[in-house]
Amino acid sequence: MQEIFGDDVDTVIADRRYGWINGLVREIVQRPAANRQTVSDKIDKIVTHRLFGIPIFLMAMWVVFKMTADVSAPYLDWVDGVINGPITHWIAALLGLLDLTGTWVESLFVDGVLAGVGGVLVFVPVLMFLYLALAILEDSGYMARAAFVMDRLMHTLGLHGKSFLPMLVGFGCTVPAFYATRTLENEKDRILTGLLVPFMSCGARLPVYVLFAAVFFPQNSGAVVFWLYLLGIGTAILLGIALKNTLFKGKEQSTFVMELPPYRLPTLRSIWFHMWERTSGFVKKAWTIIMATSIILWFLMAIPVRGEGSFADTDIDHSVFAAANQIIAPVFQPLGFGNWQASSALLTGFVAKEVVVSAMSQVYAVEQAGQAEAPPTFFEDIGGIITSFVSATGDTIKSLPLIVGVNLFEDEVEEAPTELMSAIKEGFETSSGGHGALAALAFMVFVLIYTPCMSAVAAERQELGMKWTWVSIVGQLLLAWLMAFAVFQGGKLLGLG
Amino acid sequence: MQEDIFPLSELKVGQSGVIVKMNFKGAARQRFMAMGLIKGETINVERIAPLGDPIDFVIKDYHLSLRKSEASEILVRQA
Repeated sequence: MQEIFGDDVDTVIADRRYGWINGLVREIVQRPAANRQTVSDKIDKIVTHRLFGIPIFLMAMWVVFKMTADVSAPYLDWVDGVINGPITHWIAALLGLLDLTGTWVESLFVDGVLAGVGGVLVFVPVLMFLYLALAILEDSGYMARAAFVMDRLMHTLGLHGKSFLPMLVGFGCTVPAFYATRTLENEKDRILTGLLVPFMSCGARLPVYVLFAAVFFPQNSGAVVFWLYLLGIGTAILLGIALKNTLFKGKEQSTFVMELPPYRLPTLRSIWFHMWERTSGFVKKAWTIIMATSIILWFLMAIPVRGEGSFADTDIDHSVFAAANQIIAPVFQPLGFGNWQASSALLTGFVAKEVVVSAMSQVYAVEQAGQAEAPPTFFEDIGGIITSFVSATGDTIKSLPLIVGVNLFEDEVEEAPTELMSAIKEGFETSSGGHGALAALAFMVFVLIYTPCMSAVAAERQELGMKWTWVSIVGQLLLAWLMAFAVFQGGKLLGLG
Repeated sequence: MQEDIFPLSELKVGQSGVIVKMNFKGAARQRFMAMGLIKGETINVERIAPLGDPIDFVIKDYHLSLRKSEASEILVRQA
């Protein structure tokens, strides 16, 4: 066959098959004389315009970013409030009926299990808003244009035009960013994008930078934070090029055969379907990992190894958790922060980056204001849930105009307790042998690069599979260590700090 | 009759060509053919992306975008 036709068999069969179909279609299908300028064409003239195309694309991406990062925030706070308020009271009350108040069972449910439930549910509003934005972009047909406009740039990084969106969403939260990689059809593109997404510094890492920059670089804290973001982007770019030319070299060259479909108005039904299907998918798949991690961590913190505390009633620095961190800490010695407090903060950072700062105040034993309110009644709780939902909706509507304005830093800066700041300063100066500022910089770089939180890992496992998730986790830890090492030791060599 | 054959990527915006040959094999070829890139089909360059790549073509009454590297593997003659 090959000799007769001068081509391999598959090719000949395909040629003949499509040739036949083509002939058949030509014979029987009558087409209206087409050469009309449709509405779609008119929109495309503007949207893929040589000058306006990229600004329009950037604006669209900004709206998506704001929707996932800011507009969803009031609902996120509401979910958080409901879990930490009413649901905690109810569980406590229920356990009280069983005569378990003050026992380790109560602590396990409240601090372990509920923390896990909260860890899953707080992402629900974020994901709903991401999927709302994605559904609109995809169903309207704009996503194909966005890929068309950006492909040249992303292709030089070994990526695809559609990779831009997950990257951008990653600045808000890494979890929806992993799910946004699903818009990429080619497996290689999807995996490479997924591997680079965590380097887009997520919103929860910001408070850590802000706190440390305020302690060690009060004069130019804004610049430090800005450069950290750039460092993350730069790392992703270099890593993208490196991976493209090494690990992914032999892989099948991804093609960019893409239809630019006519624009359509998305239907509410399909948008809702996307939002619900995909969000509930996360909840179903992620809750096991998140719950297990929360409970394991609770046990580690509950078991005393020294001191006079008993099970579930011990100071954190007497727990297995602290002991384990004392063993881990020397690993960070060459980076300038080899004390157990710093490594505890990093380890709890795996649960959620939001808790790094609060873990620091916990392990540095800073006095926290106690909550001494009378628990509200059941009906007050129900009322509270409803009114706070209404006010969250109000806040969301109010935050819509914010989409246009840049408001990244203003409200994130919460006043850090001064005792915590001086405790951190002292701790880092001691552990680094007098190079506190360098050690702090190394710590921030480590926080930027190292493994995202357990929820992100759960999302990553779902999207990239177990193998690539492990590659990603190990790679990030190594890279974080090396980069922090370079910052601390390099800085010392250059005589900085 | 010898005609001028050149890669699709050399067509300018607004020009059309008739597909003569495709230098793809196996799965990639199937994929391109499934999208309607078949010998004898007329293809028209609609526009080029703001950064110079990919290119938006119209074939069989619909919009299809290809990278330059892919379009250069498809040979056409002047329509």
